[in-house]
Amino acid sequence: MSAGKKIYKFSDIIADPAIRERWEKVRRYFFLRESTYDMSNRCNIRCEGCYYFTGEKQFAAENSDEKSWRQLLQSEKKRGITFVVLAGAEPSLVPALCRACYDVIPLGTIASNGLKPIPEEIDYQIHISVWGNDETSLAIRRAPDMLARQMENYRDDGRAIFVYTFTPENIDEARGVTRMLADYGQKITFNMFSAPVGYSGHLRHTGKSLEKTRQVMGELLFEYPQTVLFSPYNIVAHTNERGLHDLFSCSYPRMNPSTDIGLGRSFRQYRTDLQWDRAAACCVPDTDCDDCRHYAAGSAVVTARMYRHATDPETFSAWLDYVDTYLAVWVRGYQKGSNLCNTFINPPSSI
Amino acid sequence: MTNDINKTITRIAEIIINELKLEDITPETFDADLDLVDEVGIDSMDLATVVLVLRDEYGVRIDEDDYPKLTTVRIIAGYINDKLSGSE
Repeated sequence: MSAGKKIYKFSDIIADPAIRERWEKVRRYFFLRESTYDMSNRCNIRCEGCYYFTGEKQFAAENSDEKSWRQLLQSEKKRGITFVVLAGAEPSLVPALCRACYDVIPLGTIASNGLKPIPEEIDYQIHISVWGNDETSLAIRRAPDMLARQMENYRDDGRAIFVYTFTPENIDEARGVTRMLADYGQKITFNMFSAPVGYSGHLRHTGKSLEKTRQVMGELLFEYPQTVLFSPYNIVAHTNERGLHDLFSCSYPRMNPSTDIGLGRSFRQYRTDLQWDRAAACCVPDTDCDDCRHYAAGSAVVTARMYRHATDPETFSAWLDYVDTYLAVWVRGYQKGSNLCNTFINPPSSI
Repeated sequence: MTNDINKTITRIAEIIINELKLEDITPETFDADLDLVDEVGIDSMDLATVVLVLRDEYGVRIDEDDYPKLTTVRIIAGYINDKLSGSE
């Protein structure tokens, strides 16, 4: 029998002043209850591997009636939703609808390609998708000068977070993109290409590409700590050979039949016709769950697994770093602290 | 046995009140049969926090898969007492 690992009480773990301070900081945001909304079935570009244009949701009729959106958001607020994510296909094409959402629920994030500026008065966080340097973007997204246009549109705009999606083919390009964003005082976080259902193209990650991504992410996090919103534990969770569901058991309705508590109870993913389908409800519908390492999924799935991370100070610190990152990436005005755990730790299994 | 469960109920109520900073309620007036999600407004992160404090207090591990079952203070008290008596 091996010498047993020390068993920590939770009160012992949070007795450490740095851990306690971070714990008190993040727990103030436990009130966040998220749902997501496809705002339009149109986009001004067409990217390979886009999850929006996979599956049935792309064919939903577009409801562009502001009053209907306002009513929907009011009913969402009534059922306890405090945080909205406005996503597919391209929300910047329907600013009046985004504004209607903001008027009712003022906490949220818009996922955009950044090619059309979103009016300043819509004070949500704005995630601007980046898929490599401009040469790669042109090939994959069929749009020229993307990064230059995105940076120009969101120059000195505190709402903007650039989200770099790693594919097996753009790993090295992350260095140049991050350097450029750092030079312009922008913030970046990392995402992993997660294959849509049925996708077998060249953007799907392999063991080798995951390993290389891990190495480059670590390098950039170390080199640009003021620019990169990420942590060593984010790197571990998102570049593991096992996907997020396998590691943490996804809590979105699509993979979680329980309606008793948490995301399984409250989360909905509305299509452009303002309908939702429990069987399809998650933050990236029509993604292959076995391949899902998506940053939006992790933000909910890893965060929800607090209990299993409360085993020792190091593991709990890693989890706190993850939550601190999640809040800095998604919540307007939240400032990320320094990472508490600077080593790669293995994700704990369920208890 | 009844005294034990009542003691556990009061202590759990006290923990929930403290952790969730509930106002205008005491452990003695907390209705042990209130639905924690529907009537108290607890969500998964609140419950995970309470569960960690209960783990410290009683030295019992509560499986993540069991969270959905823990819908009232009385049910949590029964769950803990069962664990302590080794019947689970």
